Amino acid sequence: MTVVLEAKNLTKKYGDVIAVDNVSLAVEKGALFGLLGPNGSGKTTMIKMLTGQIRPTGGLATVLGLDVVQNPIGVRERVGIIPEQETPPSFLTAVEYLDFVGEVRKIHDVQKKADWWFDFLEFGDKRDVLCKDLSRGTRQKLMFTQAFLHNPTLALIDEPLINFDPIMQRKVKDYLADYAKNGNTIFISTHILGIAEEICTGFAILHKGKLLHTGTVAALTAQDQHLDDFFLTLVQKG
Amino acid sequence: MTMLKLFTNMIKEEWRVHSTIFGSLSFALFPVMIFGIAFMGSFLLPIFRTVLPAGDLATIIHALFLLLGIMVGAFGLIGMEAMNRRFGQASLLAYSARSLPISERTIFLNFVVKDTVYYFILWVFPFVAGFAIASPFIAVPLALPLLLMLTLTLSFLTGLSLIFFLSTIYARSKQMLTLLLALIIIGWATLYLATRISIAILYPPLALFRAFSWGTLLATCAVIAIPFTVAIVLFTSEYTDTTKRFSSALTPLTRRFSFFPYPPLAAKDLIDLHRSGSLIGQTIFSFLIPLGLLWFLLSVLAQVLPPGGVLMLFAILTGVIASTIYTWLTAFDTFSSYTSLPISVPMLLTSKMCSFAVLQLIPAALIIGVSVVSGGAAFLFPALILCLSVSFYALAVTVRLTGLSPSVLVYDPKVLLIYLISIGIAIIILIALAFIHPWYAVASVLLFLPAWLLVKSGYAKWDAEEQQGF
Repeated sequence: MTVVLEAKNLTKKYGDVIAVDNVSLAVEKGALFGLLGPNGSGKTTMIKMLTGQIRPTGGLATVLGLDVVQNPIGVRERVGIIPEQETPPSFLTAVEYLDFVGEVRKIHDVQKKADWWFDFLEFGDKRDVLCKDLSRGTRQKLMFTQAFLHNPTLALIDEPLINFDPIMQRKVKDYLADYAKNGNTIFISTHILGIAEEICTGFAILHKGKLLHTGTVAALTAQDQHLDDFFLTLVQKG
Repeated sequence: MTMLKLFTNMIKEEWRVHSTIFGSLSFALFPVMIFGIAFMGSFLLPIFRTVLPAGDLATIIHALFLLLGIMVGAFGLIGMEAMNRRFGQASLLAYSARSLPISERTIFLNFVVKDTVYYFILWVFPFVAGFAIASPFIAVPLALPLLLMLTLTLSFLTGLSLIFFLSTIYARSKQMLTLLLALIIIGWATLYLATRISIAILYPPLALFRAFSWGTLLATCAVIAIPFTVAIVLFTSEYTDTTKRFSSALTPLTRRFSFFPYPPLAAKDLIDLHRSGSLIGQTIFSFLIPLGLLWFLLSVLAQVLPPGGVLMLFAILTGVIASTIYTWLTAFDTFSSYTSLPISVPMLLTSKMCSFAVLQLIPAALIIGVSVVSGGAAFLFPALILCLSVSFYALAVTVRLTGLSPSVLVYDPKVLLIYLISIGIAIIILIALAFIHPWYAVASVLLFLPAWLLVKSGYAKWDAEEQQGF
């Protein structure tokens, strides 16, 4: 299988604080990979390094064959990113923000694609509302839309369902699973283990910046283990 | 006890917000810098007095502190928006009524008291202290700085109470606000027409400074206390629905700006400026009013300056102020909005500078207007070149020093000092040239070379830095 995302001894320090400590992992094409860990474990820092938003203090990372330090813009051109905090520009309307993304990413038929997403995520009534006046849930829908507007083969999502209601969570989980089944790759970071157990194929557990485990949900199931029990035991030990 | 706790925590919060942005030491030095400027500036008073009556100077200083109160109050009210842009999902005590068992009015009252104490320590006290320490050397009786401390504090509070009052009314009803503003203007105009007393005298803190009396002090306090009280009584966090809908403007604007290096970024800048109200508000309050004041001051110097000197000096100062248009373009923007897109810091800087270039039509129009009206049309061309060269050079210095966060300039003494030296040297040389002959000022185009080098090194510097909001 082709590896689409790879980290080798990736490290990020902020002064004396080590946010990510020597983490190595690889994600194959078509995987729905979950990076799991308690709050403050370094998940968001990992995503930021993998998308070229911040520079690693040490180690290497490649995404779709591109070095994230050497070519961060190239990485962000190819992947879809949903950051942890939903911050679309305040004074653009929802549809203008998608037009903006379309212009920056040079997407054809952006309005047609945006219409599909407005309909799918059920927020078409908010298309002309300024982003600053949108609820957190609607902003999350907008950020979700912008990440998939250019049909990326790899999407990195920080806490994908955190602001969605249960109905929307179901819809989005199904979408992500189908997206991966079609040969695309999804890399999500979350501390909600139910999501990972339900939709992820592979996972890694991060705690205090260190990688504790990588594996597959299928392997756990084969051993008659639940992800949350496994996670809690590992984190409490670590 | 709760009140005191809330108040002390709000003070700590305000300090931490500022020191997080500007660095603890840098921010702690800010009042020292104000003190130093006031102290050294006081020694220029005897020179100023020869060309400017003391009363006019007092009017200007009181007007500046009124403006400071208005700005501080306005920032307090849009603080949440500004903080979110700076720090991501920020939360301030002033906005936490729903999560604490304290009424919104109590929080608002504490907010008002906190702003008063905090900015008194930060601005008013150091300013007056600098003047007071210098007063024995410039033959000013010590009573004057003490009176000034009182009246400047009251002037600051007038601005603060006015903006809180008007914003509370605005939150309830825009029509009521319009009616109220109309009544204030008509009332003031009627009073002026009936009595023919100078409008400045009708401003209570200034009237108190000119002729202290307990009655005037009481009246001034009432002018401040009444709007504050009304604001606290009428305060509500349940604002009328402000959700606005707009038809899509980005795509047509992007096409119109197709000659720009990054058309969608330029279109977004213009939309931000228009919808945030910054374009008109900033043009009036950050540009036309200060420059109007400057023109008035410079006109006084006309008798001692060479021909065309006033216009040239005005062009230089307009250039410096015009360079702050860059802050209009960055105030309502944060890099976190771009983290998910293939946009780099140099791309954003380039785009902001292009938008800045378009907005230079504002100072250009002003220079053209002033040249024609003041009878200096013969020197219009050098004045225009001078103004724009200085503006672009000062912009380049700002970009090199502060990247996408030019507001740092205001409170970081180290950055401000480097900025002042970099700009100051160029300005002194240009003033000398322009005073020898106005046409020599055309040499200011040479500033574009260091400007270009500064911008280039700014790209490298800020691209290597991890941006806030990431």
